[in-house]
Parts: sequence; structure tokens; C-alpha cells
Amino acid sequence: MNPSTMTRAVAGSAVPASGFDDAGLVVRARSGDREAREELARRCRGPAYALALQLLGDPEDALDAAQDSLIRLFESFGRFDPSRPLRPWLARIVRNRALDIRRRRRARPTISLDALLDEGHAEAPAAAAGPEERAADRELQRRIWRALQETSPAHREILVLRDYQDLSYQEIAAVLAIPVGTVMSRLHAARRSLRRALEGGEHHA
Amino acid sequence: MPERCPIGFDETLLSGYLDRELTQGETQRVRLHLEDCPSCRALLAELTRLREATRATPFRPPADDQWDERPRGAASFLARRAGWTLIVGWLGAITVFAVWQLARAPEDLWVKVAVFSLAAGPVLLFLSVLADRLRTLRTDRYRRVLK
Repeated sequence: MNPSTMTRAVAGSAVPASGFDDAGLVVRARSGDREAREELARRCRGPAYALALQLLGDPEDALDAAQDSLIRLFESFGRFDPSRPLRPWLARIVRNRALDIRRRRRARPTISLDALLDEGHAEAPAAAAGPEERAADRELQRRIWRALQETSPAHREILVLRDYQDLSYQEIAAVLAIPVGTVMSRLHAARRSLRRALEGGEHHA
Repeated sequence: MPERCPIGFDETLLSGYLDRELTQGETQRVRLHLEDCPSCRALLAELTRLREATRATPFRPPADDQWDERPRGAASFLARRAGWTLIVGWLGAITVFAVWQLARAPEDLWVKVAVFSLAAGPVLLFLSVLADRLRTLRTDRYRRVLK
């Protein structure tokens, strides 16, 4: 998208589209505001793609799932309640689309985190101070990514929603259509399972 | 990995504690337990390390020019809706006509019952699936999200 379009005022308003929160943009997009729709698409692409990639493990499948999810998101604006946060709504659509893709297609092997970094789908960790710490962080992240693929789909999705996507238990419960109480127990089991997979990886290395 | 808590503490609370999702009372309970349980302290430290490493893994979406979220055209949307309406309408009409014909047919009653029960099987299966879906919809907060 042309960045200059982002600075143009939203039709009928002196405030640029980027100045609105998600709910405001949804209301404007619903009434046919093209600028608001483009801004929403720009905001949602990253989270939608990241979630699809974390669930599916393949960049091509992830882009398909994310694009289709955004189309469905726009189609569902008429039914969206602006008083609720947009992220769980989007996460639910992406998760369902990822499940569809996994069901319909033969599962492609998950791309390693190193390959994702090399191809520009992920960024190198920047939080650690020195090169040694950064290397250690990257190694741990690489092992976690690989171990995540060895956990069951139910464990993988709850780990992704909590630890990668940072959704609250309430939001996860809504996305997965399970009681909030189940979120904590399933998440703990998933973390245990991830830890086991990590230990298995260490023994096989 | 630390084994299960030797004191038998409910470990799932550790995840809730880590994610700051516990009530004040539960948080206090976990804190008190952690003071006395090296096994749970070690597990919590490990889970914290894993979570921090996971959260620090950034993903980058493809460039904007690779995306295409143009909405499906209104024509195709209307055609699809009209198509489904016609299919459902005709199936209903054919079913009513078939039942009416069956009732008027000169065959013995047991033949009619056999034919009717043969057709009723799939219908009952369909209705049971429909009932399940409706029950799910009623309890699903995000039921209006497109699947």
C-alpha cells in the first residue's frame, strides 16, 4: 500500500485513518470507508500472518490463511461488536482458517526457524545485550520452535495463543470455545509437553 | 524437568501465576507454596525462561505488495446465496412431493413404512448434526465469526 495514502484524512473526518483505534476503524470501514479498511488491513496483516505461521509452520500456507482470514474479517464487520476487542475475533478466524487448510491439504513439513530467519519471515532476537547472549537466545528459540511442532495440535495452538500471541485466558477461551478454567489446565499440560519435547530434542541432538 | 510436586500442590496454578491470571487468594497460595517447595520453584523458573524466549521471537509478515485482500465481488456473493436458496428450496419441494406420492401410492403399508424409514435415516442424522451445531452456537461467544 502506498504510505502516502495513510496520511490522507479519512473520508468525512479530519483525522487520518491511522489516528483511530481498531473499533473506530471497524465502524468506518463498515460504512464503506476505503482508507479505514486499508489501515485495518495494514494493522491486521502482521498478527494474522504470525498466528497462521505459528499454527501451520509453512510461510506459503500462512500467507494463504492470513489473506483469506482478512477477507473473512472484512465480510464479518457487519456482525462485529465494536465494544469487544478485535484481536480475539481475528485470531478466531485465522485459527479456523488454519484448521481448514490443515484438514484439506497434505501437511507440509514445518520450516525451521533458521530458514524463516534466512528468508526474512522472522527477525533475529534483539533483546539480549551481547553476541553470546543473543546466540544463546536464538538457539533456545530455534529449539522451542522445533519442539512446538512435536506437540499435539491442541497443545500447539494454546501455546501459540498465549506465549506468541499474548492473549489473555479470557480471550483464549473465546477463541477456542472452551471454559476459562480449562485454558489454565490445558496450557500447563501444553507447557509440560513442550518441555518434554525440548528434552527429547536435546537427547537426539 | 522437575518431577511432579512432592507435596501434591496443584501445579496448574503455576501457569496461572506465571501469566498473572490468578485471583489474589490463589496468588498468595502459590507464593506461600513456592517458599517451601524447591521443585515447584525450579519448574516455575523453567517455564518463565521458556515463555520469555518464546515471546521474544518476532515474526515478520510479507511486504504489503504481496497481499491481496480484495473482497469477493457482490455478484459472486449474490449468485452463491441464490444458488443455495434454490438448492434448499428444491430439495424441500421434492421431499414434500415424494412424501405425498408415497402416501397416495397403492403399495402395502409395510412397503411404505420401509421406504419412509430408509429416507428418514439420513434426515435424522442431519437433524442431530444440526441440533449439535445449534447448541454449540448458543454457547459460543464468537458464534458470529465466519468459520
